[in-house]
Amino acid sequence: MTEVRLDGATVTVPVDGSPGGRARTILGPVDLVLTQSRVTVIGANGSGKSTLLRLLNGLVTPTSGTVSVDGLDTVRHGARVRRRVAFAFTDPISQLVMPTGREDVELSLRRLHRSRTQRRVAAEQVLERFGMVRHADQSVYDLSGGERQLMALAAVLATEPGLLVLDEPTTLLDRRNTLRLRALLDSLPQSVVLATHDLDLALAADRSLVVDEGRVVFDGEPAAAVEHYIGLTDAP
Amino acid sequence: MSDPGLFSAYVPGTSVVHRMPLWAKLVGVLAVGAMPWVTQSVWPLALVTALLAGIVLAARLPAHRIARSLHGLLPVLAVLLAFQWWSHDLPYAVRVVLGIVNAFVAAGVLTATTPVSDLLDGVVRAARPLRRVVDPEVVALTLGVVVRSVPWVAGSFSSVRESARARGLDRNPRAVLVPTVVHVVAFARSTGEALAARGLTDPADDALGSDRPGGADRTA
Repeated sequence: MTEVRLDGATVTVPVDGSPGGRARTILGPVDLVLTQSRVTVIGANGSGKSTLLRLLNGLVTPTSGTVSVDGLDTVRHGARVRRRVAFAFTDPISQLVMPTGREDVELSLRRLHRSRTQRRVAAEQVLERFGMVRHADQSVYDLSGGERQLMALAAVLATEPGLLVLDEPTTLLDRRNTLRLRALLDSLPQSVVLATHDLDLALAADRSLVVDEGRVVFDGEPAAAVEHYIGLTDAP
Repeated sequence: MSDPGLFSAYVPGTSVVHRMPLWAKLVGVLAVGAMPWVTQSVWPLALVTALLAGIVLAARLPAHRIARSLHGLLPVLAVLLAFQWWSHDLPYAVRVVLGIVNAFVAAGVLTATTPVSDLLDGVVRAARPLRRVVDPEVVALTLGVVVRSVPWVAGSFSSVRESARARGLDRNPRAVLVPTVVHVVAFARSTGEALAARGLTDPADDALGSDRPGGADRTA
């Protein structure tokens, strides 16, 4: 299992846009050790969930404190952390950067397989594993929302990272595709950390965090976390 | 954005055009692009246009994709033709416009008959002598992202224009251009973030093991 450790991780942004000016804290300080196989993060829009997730693969680095994955600091060893931690965005179309899914999967594999032939074979295997072979040569624009999300996951998981981080992966999906995605996530050998507004999905975890106004305000059993979150949102 | 034109996805095939080596296709595109500078007559350019039509047929590329691509270019070509006619003469204006159409179609044939991964491999090979200055993989990735972004930008422009039309503002260029630019900037930002998240912008040596100070983005 991948171990993620946040020690006093805080993210601030300049209020007036200038680096030397006043700063506003958008997350933290956060102290966490994540070792569970399935962790969900819930919270209102703008609560800091996405920033927390982005810390995990070094996409955002802490202004103060540290974040490490399997002992690798996300600032000093950013590239190696990103080899271990895959990240899936809410909108897969912004993540699929090549014209077709096959080409996108091959792009992920470029650094693992320098040989074109090996890369093609490996990409085919990945596409088969995700049941996406028949959509592999379609334009990414021609795929449905669910197909795009699965293709984006195939592309980021092609390099076999240890941890998959997903930022609200079901927001753009209908119920059928949400269930399909859930089944896929359940079958993955990787550790998964995901932020979601889907409370059913949030319950299917070993541990849940509730984030509110940039702080982790609850950390524990998913059912209790959902109850805590509902209490927060229902409060006047 | 379901039918974005000639520059979108690779059209799988086994035609002679598909099987041509990448270098030959690139030389062809460069030659077509250079034609307006080496000829003073319309006829060689018209001949190239006919040749390209033959290549498109031989490659069995869907005609509607080419028509759609050229349709988007028509307003620009019309303005260019009028301006060049006014500032020079009609034969000169036709040469300029034909030169652009030929270069556009030739580049489209290249992208439609060559998988992007083959293009990337070719660019990596071509950029290898410059590896002390720039990472060849990054050059190739940039090209791939450009190819992928063309239909998105065209689709975005089309959606914005439809929205403007729905509000009765379709004759106002600002109502179309400003939102398109905003969309494109947001798209560029999210694409950059996706590339960084996948480690595709990390130097190759770092991603495979060695370390280097600094993360992808120090701001939230």
